Amino acid sequence: MNQEVYNSDKKLSKKDVVRAFWRWTFFSHANYNYERLEATGVVHCLAPILKKLYGDDKGEFKAAIKRHMLFYNTEPHFGGVINGMFIAMEEERANGASITDEAINGVKTGLMGPFAGIGDTLWQGTLTPILLAFGISLGIEGNLMGPVLYTALMFGIMLPVAYYMWMTGYKLGRSGIQKILEGNLLKSVMIAASTMGAIVLGALSAQFVSLSTPVMINVGGGSMALQADILDKLVLNLLPLAVTLFTLYLLKQQKKATTVLGILMALGAVGGVIGLF
Amino acid sequence: MEISIWQAFLIGLIYYLGTVGTPWLTLLGSISVVYRPLVGGTLVGLVLGDPVTGCIIGATINLPYLAFISAGGTVPVDPGLAGALGTALAMAAGVQPSVAVTLAVPLGLLGTMIWVAHMTVDVFFVHMADKAAEKGDIDKICFYHVVPPQIFMFLITVIPVMIGAYYGADVVKELITLLEGKPLHVLSVIGGILPALGIAMNLRAIGRKGTMAFFLFGFLIAVYLHLDVLTVALFAGIIAYIYTILLAREGGLENESGSI
Repeated sequence: MNQEVYNSDKKLSKKDVVRAFWRWTFFSHANYNYERLEATGVVHCLAPILKKLYGDDKGEFKAAIKRHMLFYNTEPHFGGVINGMFIAMEEERANGASITDEAINGVKTGLMGPFAGIGDTLWQGTLTPILLAFGISLGIEGNLMGPVLYTALMFGIMLPVAYYMWMTGYKLGRSGIQKILEGNLLKSVMIAASTMGAIVLGALSAQFVSLSTPVMINVGGGSMALQADILDKLVLNLLPLAVTLFTLYLLKQQKKATTVLGILMALGAVGGVIGLF
Repeated sequence: MEISIWQAFLIGLIYYLGTVGTPWLTLLGSISVVYRPLVGGTLVGLVLGDPVTGCIIGATINLPYLAFISAGGTVPVDPGLAGALGTALAMAAGVQPSVAVTLAVPLGLLGTMIWVAHMTVDVFFVHMADKAAEKGDIDKICFYHVVPPQIFMFLITVIPVMIGAYYGADVVKELITLLEGKPLHVLSVIGGILPALGIAMNLRAIGRKGTMAFFLFGFLIAVYLHLDVLTVALFAGIIAYIYTILLAREGGLENESGSI
């Protein structure tokens, strides 16, 4: 894996790497904050490893802690591949390989964005709504298998994914970063994830955004229902689609999510009061 | 139905366990499981002795938060509070699930204050960890990472919910009669359009060329072919796979911007 010659007496065992995985799985966001997000979570997951690797060198030990106290934020399950990589890099460094602070930081800051994108799209944007739609459809009828199956599927899918990503990152180590950055693997996964996510989100907007209008329009002698006689004839669920696209437009104007939420509420309130919706 | 002080405490505990970042059930067990009203509501029902009603109300309250996303530390609404306290109050006041969901909407908004408080106060513990880092005391950093933030989180989640659940039922009963008619209708309109926010935030996060075409495709097949989300997802997976392969063959991956 590494061409450089160094004494490898500070070898991490599989147990060390797995232990760090569990520390991250439970504690990654225990001190989530606006300033450095998951930074102390990284140091926390690395604690036993850093002790093992740098325990005999106070200076290096301190430097390693400070190296990981910097801003870090990624999707913690898919992004665990990055943690696996920098654990491998720390191991090499402790054994004499010339890996600079910048190299380790570069891996973290360079990959955390893309993996947050992939992870959030697949986990929060695709998998979670699919499983929820399934669980809710049972639960809303009073079937307790709804929440039970939802929970079982969520853990059953995401924990193995997270474990696989973590161990793969560790195995690939530094060489894996080159592979990921040079090849088209990351781009392919991102495109596939975002394509699948976009289609699923379309289906969700059709089924779960609900908005209709009771407005009647008088034409000549008779009257027409705006919803049933006009909008539904154009495109079914046109209003939910319109409100979703309008929300997206607002977000693209760089408006904050809370501001957009306020606008949506005002829209619903005004429309509801004047009898438009 | 009366909520005892112990039940109120347990409901507060459910909200705490579902709040993003609590370590007890893993991160996944908080944000993806107990945080979701489908699960949180069922647990509240269990505490109140009727898990089935809790499940029905929780599932209904969950609808507006279906595509909820938390990215980069921003949370526009709090499904956890809507689910835990919303289900408790709805059960105690004996309201219909459709009314419960409208009552839960304002709770979901209030909950974001708790999130902002914890994200802000936790900065303080990072600075304490910085001091420990200067001394090379990693055990202390681990302590600051877990214990003070979690004690703080426990207090700001359990206490308000406990008070809300214990004293709230009567207030809710009165509120319902006050809100009867127009105000409840307005809340249900808002509840109906809320899922659009989560969906749009996800779309914005994806934000690459072609996203809108695929989004409209998903919308249209769901509307006109009456496919449920799970089935659409299976088709979506296959389409995504083929599309990516074709794009790679055309050399389109090189032109892809914003990847790295």
